[in-house]
Amino acid sequence: MKLKKFVSALLITAMTGALLVGCGSNNSTNTNTGTDSETTTENKTTENTSKGNVSIRLLNGKIEIDAPLKAYAEAYKQKTGVEVVIESLGGGADIAATLKGYLAAGNMPDMFVIGGEGDYNVWKDYMEDLSNESWVSDTDVAYVSPEGKVVGFPYAVEGYGLTYNKDLLDKAGIDPATLTNINAYKAAFEKLDSMKDELGITAVVSMAAEAGQMWWSVANHNFGSYLATGVENGDSKYIDMLKKGEIDRDRMTQYAKFLKLLFDYSDKNTLISGTYDDQLALWAQGKTVFIHQGNWIDPSLPSYNVTFGMGIAPSAFMEQDTDGILADAPSWWAVYNGGKNIQACKDFLTSLATTEEGAKCLVQDCGMISPFKSTTVQPTAPLATDLMKWVQAGKTYPWHWAKMPDGFAMNNLGPVFESFAKGDVDIEGFVDLMANAIATLKQ
Amino acid sequence: MKVKKVLSLAAIILGIAGVILALIMDFSGSENPLRGAILVIGGLMVLAGFYFLPSKNHKKIINVLFLFPLLLAFTVTVIIPFIFGVFYSLTDWNGIKFENFVGLQNYITMFTSNDYMYSVVITFIFSAINIVLVNVIAFSLALLCTSKIKGKNYYRAAFFVPNLIGGIVLGYVWQFIFNKVLTVLIPGSVSMLTDPNLALLAIIIVSSWQYSGYIMMIYVTGLQGVPKDVLEASAVDGADRLTTLFRIKMPLIANTFTICIFLTLINSFKQFDLNFAITNGAPSRILNGVSILSTELLALNIYKTAISKNQYALGQTKAVVFFIVLAIISLTQVAISKKREVEM
Repeated sequence: MKLKKFVSALLITAMTGALLVGCGSNNSTNTNTGTDSETTTENKTTENTSKGNVSIRLLNGKIEIDAPLKAYAEAYKQKTGVEVVIESLGGGADIAATLKGYLAAGNMPDMFVIGGEGDYNVWKDYMEDLSNESWVSDTDVAYVSPEGKVVGFPYAVEGYGLTYNKDLLDKAGIDPATLTNINAYKAAFEKLDSMKDELGITAVVSMAAEAGQMWWSVANHNFGSYLATGVENGDSKYIDMLKKGEIDRDRMTQYAKFLKLLFDYSDKNTLISGTYDDQLALWAQGKTVFIHQGNWIDPSLPSYNVTFGMGIAPSAFMEQDTDGILADAPSWWAVYNGGKNIQACKDFLTSLATTEEGAKCLVQDCGMISPFKSTTVQPTAPLATDLMKWVQAGKTYPWHWAKMPDGFAMNNLGPVFESFAKGDVDIEGFVDLMANAIATLKQ
Repeated sequence: MKVKKVLSLAAIILGIAGVILALIMDFSGSENPLRGAILVIGGLMVLAGFYFLPSKNHKKIINVLFLFPLLLAFTVTVIIPFIFGVFYSLTDWNGIKFENFVGLQNYITMFTSNDYMYSVVITFIFSAINIVLVNVIAFSLALLCTSKIKGKNYYRAAFFVPNLIGGIVLGYVWQFIFNKVLTVLIPGSVSMLTDPNLALLAIIIVSSWQYSGYIMMIYVTGLQGVPKDVLEASAVDGADRLTTLFRIKMPLIANTFTICIFLTLINSFKQFDLNFAITNGAPSRILNGVSILSTELLALNIYKTAISKNQYALGQTKAVVFFIVLAIISLTQVAISKKREVEM
């Protein structure tokens, strides 16, 4: 009898324990732009209650700058009495669907985030013309509609390439300033690979190409260098060709050679089945020298106790030197033209662009690069500081990949990159697959 | 009596007027803060009026009244969006508004798109394997839980627990297991989720693991409903275990089989959470010179068409066809199974 009771008590405890296992707290936030992986949604919309007080609502798409923005909104309210409600969402696809839901429910925010051409075409009838604002002449990266109207406020410039661990490169005797063409990279990778034990690394590059959740890193970001590296500013010939369903075969073959180089020297498991956190952890813990990400990883670095120096090197796939990284505004804030407080929205955006506090918020608190040329505030995060040098020297290429049709990178290009990473095809095969995938855009 | 009748009729008329007024205000875009309250109060007045209305058919009125909340919710959330959906599938709706009537163009586009046809094929394969696997596992577990084994109540609860974990969380946990745990336990191996066939197998494994417990409970109930005197009679006649199982128990729980196959059929075809969380369509497979997402089942395909490719009208079209196909298949299955049931 007693044994039976004891055993049942034990079994009950075991089952309850198993049930409670899932109740751990998970503090890792996925800080990446334009993905639809797991998101942290902070929905704190408060209604305007006090009479006479103007209240405007901003739908922000970058979850990592939610806290600094809210702090700035608080200070702004003290100064001007206008209440700014910040609502932040993470992940690209959710924002589009959420916005459409808001419009249908009559709950459209006063300012909302747009990600590029696809979003522009959907929302073009709902965006206020901002061409006459004071900050328009101070930036190169505002969103301009095909008719020439400024409709998007740029709040940051982001850049990416092959982010490197400077300490390890110094140890190996490689100067990152020389990494500007494919042959320099080949030599550098071979040297680093031969010194694996001395440097304490498991692989040279930390890259992820799994098609379900990391497609954006290869099919958007890395592919962006095929579309823009080495091309004159303002020349959009490769993206125009892509939209018509064509590719430049020679350029694509050269690009594939560089891609193969990156894949060959990457950590195998992270490459084909790793998540964003895996990729970041590998590099932040010093197990690889390069990581294919950009300055947005700055906020995550302190949690890994990172102490090494770092910088961004160009994704230079051509034989000739291409000394520039891909930097552009990741998204813009548009003003809803059916809102009740359009002038208040414009004033808020102007204050972010032109005042000292606004610049401090964007640059130092949010850890981004200011898109406004007149800003004097310097960033403090290591990658942001490095990116600033590239931006101010004018050594950047635009993000033409943002003009690809919606869902094209995720559904059509992502699998091609994954096939290449898994070794299902060689360079010729990769170029064929890309040509076939892009040919589907021929209307 | 008369007073009650007059009052009830007045309440009904006022209530209907209130509801119509609130709806008109809503559709004409007025910002009147009272319109929500008027709608609700109007609705309540109609219901109260009908409840108190003295009439000969009071019982029938009560029946309809109590069904009303459920029917209303069902109509508003399922029937009306469905009708809208069929309408939108014939236009070029972009999620916000539609501009042109395009007739059956969306349907033609859908049937000629390779990724959709691939999704259909892979969903059929997945469903076929999943239905068989879930039912076999669930039935075996049910036999275990209705036998004379010790601790069978504990087993019953334990096998049911996986069903309680939500689809998305379950998916991410299993993704971790496939990617990180199995590759360590079997050293030198690559994650199952990088091979197209093994990834589908992985989804089948997790889906069976999750759903078997639920179906097992239904089978347990069915098995417990087998009349004891029939079993005793068969034992007296000398039937061994296998004969009892195949010739006596299974025919008697034929209606349980109907239900379980129906449920697993619907569940497999509609599988989304696990698909989205474990693989999100990955890994890639090369078919006819194009690299495609190999584990993109139908529901995920529809979701991606609408949300990520921003082709709402095409997504809606796929959803309508999905409904028709699923309705035909499940109704056929139920009709066939019903014919094989035995009336006791």
